[in-house]
Amino acid sequence: MRRHLSTIALISVAILFFIDAQPAQAYIGPGAGFAFLTSFLTLFASFFMAFFTLFTWPVRVIVRTFRHRQAFQNAKAKRVVILGLDGLEPTITERLLREDKLPNLQRLKQDGSYSHLQTSYPAISPVAWSAFATGVNAGGHNIFDFLARHKQTYMPELSSSRVGMPKRKVSFGKYEIPLGKPIVKFLRRSKSFWTILGENGIFSHVLRVPITFPPEKFNGAMLSAMCAPDLWETQGTFSLFTTDSTVDPNKEGGDTSIVTRHVNRVEGFIKGPENSLTKSKEQLRLPFVANIISDNEVELVIDKQKIVLKKNAHSEWVELKFKAGLGIKVQGIARFYLLDTNPHFRLYMTPINIDPEKPALPISFPYFYSVYLAKLQGKFATLGLAEDTWSLNEGVLSEDAFLEQAYLIHEEREKQFFHALGKTKRGLCAVVIDATDRIQHMFFRTLEDDHPANRNKETERYKNVIEDMYIKMDDLVGRTMAQLKDDDFFFVMSDHGFKSFRRGINLNVWLKENGYLVLQEGVEKSGEFFQGVDWSKTRAYAFGLAGIYLNVKGREKLGVVHPGADYDQLKAELIGKLSGLKDPLTGDVAITEMYDNRKIYNGPYTNDGPDLISGYNIGYRISWNGATGVVDDVVFDDNTKAWSGDHCIDPKLVPGVIFCNQKIAAAKPGLVDLAPTVLSLFGVKKPGYMKGCDIFEPSQRMANGKTPTVVEKPADSPQEVVSLGH
Amino acid sequence: MLGPKIKLEKELYDRVKKFSEVAGYSSVEEFITHVLEKELGSVDATDSEEEIKKRLQGLGYLS
Repeated sequence: MRRHLSTIALISVAILFFIDAQPAQAYIGPGAGFAFLTSFLTLFASFFMAFFTLFTWPVRVIVRTFRHRQAFQNAKAKRVVILGLDGLEPTITERLLREDKLPNLQRLKQDGSYSHLQTSYPAISPVAWSAFATGVNAGGHNIFDFLARHKQTYMPELSSSRVGMPKRKVSFGKYEIPLGKPIVKFLRRSKSFWTILGENGIFSHVLRVPITFPPEKFNGAMLSAMCAPDLWETQGTFSLFTTDSTVDPNKEGGDTSIVTRHVNRVEGFIKGPENSLTKSKEQLRLPFVANIISDNEVELVIDKQKIVLKKNAHSEWVELKFKAGLGIKVQGIARFYLLDTNPHFRLYMTPINIDPEKPALPISFPYFYSVYLAKLQGKFATLGLAEDTWSLNEGVLSEDAFLEQAYLIHEEREKQFFHALGKTKRGLCAVVIDATDRIQHMFFRTLEDDHPANRNKETERYKNVIEDMYIKMDDLVGRTMAQLKDDDFFFVMSDHGFKSFRRGINLNVWLKENGYLVLQEGVEKSGEFFQGVDWSKTRAYAFGLAGIYLNVKGREKLGVVHPGADYDQLKAELIGKLSGLKDPLTGDVAITEMYDNRKIYNGPYTNDGPDLISGYNIGYRISWNGATGVVDDVVFDDNTKAWSGDHCIDPKLVPGVIFCNQKIAAAKPGLVDLAPTVLSLFGVKKPGYMKGCDIFEPSQRMANGKTPTVVEKPADSPQEVVSLGH
Repeated sequence: MLGPKIKLEKELYDRVKKFSEVAGYSSVEEFITHVLEKELGSVDATDSEEEIKKRLQGLGYLS
C-alpha cells in the first residue's frame, strides 16, 4: 500500500514536471545521500514533495513564463537532437558507408553533412565530452584525464567528482551517525551549454553524457553517467561466487567469494557498501542461498526474493537491500549470470548499481527523474561505466555474455532516449551511447589476425561484432530520424575514434632509464601509484593515460624542478627525446609527438593539468602498468588483454565523426564548436570565454577551416592564451 | 553545493568580473573559487592508499 501511494506521488510529481517542463527543486525529500531513511520517511517526503510541487506549480509557471518570455525569439531551431555514439571511428564508418551498410547515415551524409570531428587533447572520453559540454578545452574545464594527481601525495583521484561523508557526526554505542548528506562535489569547471540554454528559458534533456556525476542543477532533466560509482563507491567491481577454492582470488575489477555447498544448496553472502552508520565501518552483507535445480538452473533466494537463473543468461535487475541498523537500509541493484553448477558452482554478479528508484547518491536531476524513469520503464544501469569490461578481461564472463550485457544496457538507453525525445517538443535532447565505445574496446582484436590479444582466444566467431554494432547504430539513427520534424536539427557525433591497442609503453620506466625518475635506494620495482619512487630526485613522471608532469618546486610537494628556465628546458628536452620514440621490437614510431600543454590549452586551468601530453602512434598506448604508476623494468610490452582497442593516442590520429541533417560550413569542426553551435541555433549569445565557433557560420572561420588563432602570451600571465588547433 | 555568501565592494567586484572574463572563467564565482582553492592549497589528503585504490577499481582503462 505504502509502495503504491509512494509510486502515485512520484508519478504525479513527474507528470507535473514534464507538463510544466520546469526545473524542480533538486534533492528535496528522500534519496539525497545514502538512503538512510526509513520507508515511512520516504513515503512522507514523497507526499510532501508532491504537495509542494502541486501547490506552487501555478506560481512557478507564471514566474517562469514571464522570466523566459524571450526564449526562442531569435532561435533558428525549435528542437535540437544530438545522438552521441561514443568512439565511432571514421575509417570504419566510411568503409561501411562505401559498402552501403549504413543507409541512414548515408542519407544524413547526402542530404546534410558528414565530417571528421577534431577531438580533445588527450582523446579520452571525460576530456572530450567535457569539451563538448562547455565549448572550451581542458585548460578551461579542468578535466585532463579520468585521473588527477594530488600535488601533495602524488596519489591519483578521480578528476571529475569527489564523494565524502559529512564531517559532523553523533556517536552513541557502536553507532556514529553522520549529520547531513554526503558531500558530492562536481569538479568539472566552466559551464555546460545546457545550463546556459536553461538560463535563457530553453529546456534540455541530457542523458548519460559523460562527466555529469553528480548531476548539475539546470532547466532540464539529466541522467548522470561516467563516473557515477557503484554501491561500493568504486567504478564498477563485479563479484564472482564460487565453490572452487583453487581459483585465483585476485581478479582485476572483481571480488571473489568462496561459497559453501551441501549437496544442492549453496550458501554465501553478497558484500555491500561500508556501513557508514557504525564506528567500525564494517562491510554490509546480504546472505543468499542458491538451490541447484539442475545443471542449468538455479533458484537464487535473497531476502524474500526468489529468482530463477538459467545457465549462461543474464537475470533481470535484482534489488539488494543492505541493513545498516536502526531500521535503515541501503539499496542497490545487480544482475546475475549463472556460469556453472558442476563440478563447481560459479555465479557472476554485476557491480551493484545505485538503484534508480532509491538512489543512494544523486544520479539524476531533478532527483526524482531516475525514480520516474525506473517506475515507467523498469530498473536500469546507473553505474558510470556500466558495461563490465573487467569481467571479460579476467575471463569471468565470456565474449557472448559481455556482448549480451552491453546490449541489455543499450536497450535501456534507447528507451530512455526515445522517451525523452517524445517529451522534447522544443529545446535540446542529447544522449550518449556507450556500447559503441565498450564493444570496440573489447573486440578490436578481431579486426587484426595478428593482434597479440588474439593468443588463446576465439577470433573467427566474433569477427563481425564491430560491424554488426555499427549497423545496429545506423538502425538507431534511422529510427531517430523517423521521429524528427522538418525543422529539427539533428547531429550524430562521436567524441573520438578508435584504433588498435597492440603494444603498451610504460613511460615511467623510460623516464627511470633516462634519469628523470628515480626509485628509492634498494627498490627495483615500485608498487602501484609510485610507491617506492624517490620524489626528491625525480624530475618527471607519467601519470594517467596520456600525461607527463614535471615535479615542480613549489607546485608538487616534493618538487625539484625550478619554475622558469629549468622547467622550460626540461620540457623541451623531453619533447625532443620522446617525440619519434621507436619501438625496439618493431622499429615503428611509437610516439608521434609530445605536446606542450601551453601550446594546446588555453584557459585558467592550463597549469593544473599535465605539462606534456603523449601522442602515441596507432597501435600504441600507455601500458597497463604504466597507467597505474608501476615502475618496473619493462618499457614496451604486448597488450594481450581482451581490451584490445583504444583511443588514448595522438588526437590527430583518432578524430571522431559528425553527421548533421543540415549543411555545415566548417571544414574542420571540433568538439569545442558544438556548444557555441547549439547556443546559436537557439538564438543564445555565445559567452566570451568559448573559443569554438558556430559550425554553420562560415564567416567565423579562417580559410584553412581552423578557429581563429589568438596571440601567445607569457605562460605566467593569467591572460595567457594559446593558438588553438582544436 | 554553495554555502555562506561573501560581500565584495562594488569596485573590487567590477575588477574581478572583468578579469574573470578575460582569463576564460565562465563566471565570477568560478574565478573566485579557483583563486581561493589555489591560495589554500590541498591539504586534505587524508584518504588512505587503500581507499584511493578502491575508488578507482573497475575503471576499464586502468589495471
